[in-house]
Amino acid sequence: MSGTEQHAKRRTKILLAALLVGPTLFLVVFFLIPLTIMLVYSWLTPGVYGGVEWTFSHLNYGRILGWANTRYEKFDPTYLAIFFQSVRLAATTVLASLIVCYPAAFWVARMPEKRRQFFIFLITLPFFISLIVRLFAWVLILRPTGFLNQALMGLGLIGQPLEIIYTDVAVIIGMTYVFIPFMFLPLYASIEKLDESLIEASQDLGANRIQTFLRVVLPQTLPGIIGGSIIVFIPSLGNFIVPSVLGGAKVVMTGNLIEQQFLSARNWPFGAALGMIVMTAVLVLLLLYVRAVSREDRQGVTLPVAHGGAK
Amino acid sequence: MRRTSWARAILSAYGWLFLAFIYAPILLIVVFSFNSNPVNMMIWQEFTLDWYRTIFGFPTKLNELTLYVESTDQLYKAVFNSLRVAVTTTLISTVLGTAVALAVARFRFRLRSFFRALMFMPMIMPDIILGIALLIFFVSFGFGLGLHTIIIGHTTFLTSYVFIVVSARLADMDQSLEEASADLGADGWTTFRRVTLPMIAPGVVGGAMLAFIISMDDLVITYFISGVDSTTLPVHIYGMLRRGIKPEINAIATVMLVFSFAVASIGLYLRSRKR
Repeated sequence: MSGTEQHAKRRTKILLAALLVGPTLFLVVFFLIPLTIMLVYSWLTPGVYGGVEWTFSHLNYGRILGWANTRYEKFDPTYLAIFFQSVRLAATTVLASLIVCYPAAFWVARMPEKRRQFFIFLITLPFFISLIVRLFAWVLILRPTGFLNQALMGLGLIGQPLEIIYTDVAVIIGMTYVFIPFMFLPLYASIEKLDESLIEASQDLGANRIQTFLRVVLPQTLPGIIGGSIIVFIPSLGNFIVPSVLGGAKVVMTGNLIEQQFLSARNWPFGAALGMIVMTAVLVLLLLYVRAVSREDRQGVTLPVAHGGAK
Repeated sequence: MRRTSWARAILSAYGWLFLAFIYAPILLIVVFSFNSNPVNMMIWQEFTLDWYRTIFGFPTKLNELTLYVESTDQLYKAVFNSLRVAVTTTLISTVLGTAVALAVARFRFRLRSFFRALMFMPMIMPDIILGIALLIFFVSFGFGLGLHTIIIGHTTFLTSYVFIVVSARLADMDQSLEEASADLGADGWTTFRRVTLPMIAPGVVGGAMLAFIISMDDLVITYFISGVDSTTLPVHIYGMLRRGIKPEINAIATVMLVFSFAVASIGLYLRSRKR
């Protein structure tokens, strides 16, 4: 009897190994090792003609954070300014998509079951449309000769075209538009779970609408708000496609800076250091989130990606 | 009571506005892809199919204005590259992602939480970080950039997407059927083939479709790790946009829209039916 049991145990082990050996190998070689190499690169000396010299250097970070002061490598506050500009743009995007999606999530959550499914389908469908196509649409709308300006001028509301494209506003509109499904789904998930009887109770007890919203609705939907905010903030912070298409040369985010270092300036160690700073910011944010969630110790709260399932 | 119905009306008005915000830009591309005005795309001149003729390589009167026409060969090559990458990536990442999902859901072992964390990492990482990390890796190990590096790059993060979709399916699944199969004397492999696999099949198909769509659409990671001769469709269009806005992009975008709508609708329809 114990012989067959042992046999079964061994078979289980073999099956498990067979399932895991391929994925593990692949992800270690093509995910963990590349990230480690990037970390190492950010502490190396850039070569004179592109490339890298294998000597330790802390100056890549020094150039960004303030202590580099040698002949070739000098601290330049522009880099930090661009980083904070990116944080600001990403945070504004989060706020804008929150404002846009919150009432819409309520709208859908109050529908009858069948219609609800259909409207969720409609709202998530754009996620499957090519990102570059969706951004292109906004180029057509926001250009000086674009749809918006033509329409406003046609109505006689403005005399000359507004300069919207290549501004912060254009970048924020673009990122908000692109990340709507990421914000909508977590919000919807927590609004759908909202206990209507609590709202009624609050109103019966004499609270007005605003009080009910602030004391009952908002706290209950907070997990969705935080989850959605994080999955919108992360891809916004490191974004370089949206600022490059809608921000042109005028709105530069850290992502654009990184792209320049890799594809035109060819200073890879410096680009890697910039990348590490973005990644550190993301990790700190996630750590804070995980800590907050585990402190609340509420069930059903998972990593935000599990809701939206998207970058 | 009246206040409630007012609030409802405002909410639903807002809801329709929200949908308009989502779909108006997309509709705009479609409508103006039939506009013949070659100078300002946003001023309607007359209905034309010339932009479509152009991208499909048919002769049009626009050919005299070569200014507006880019090489269709390059466009086709990009489409072909995208399809090759997406099909290969989908196959590999579906197998890998499903394997990890099965292992994590059905076995108890020490490294389980490590694997869970590993599968979430590529999803929470900004694209650009993975892009540059892979670029440094490929170049310093002499991989030579090309379609193979794009395939590897896509597979690293799409494995996670498949993992999450299949895991969700496994969590919903009734485990007692597998136990029953084992009790009736079926060995592990038979149970897997006859019971587990058919039951998770919708999840696997869903994960594969998601992987395919995202691979077809990925721009950031591909942008960093594609070689000179191996542009995919999104990278090609990004390049076109940077060179200047041309009406033919409307037509290309519309064709892509139809394609993604079709794939996504089929996928979401299958999902809603299987539930």
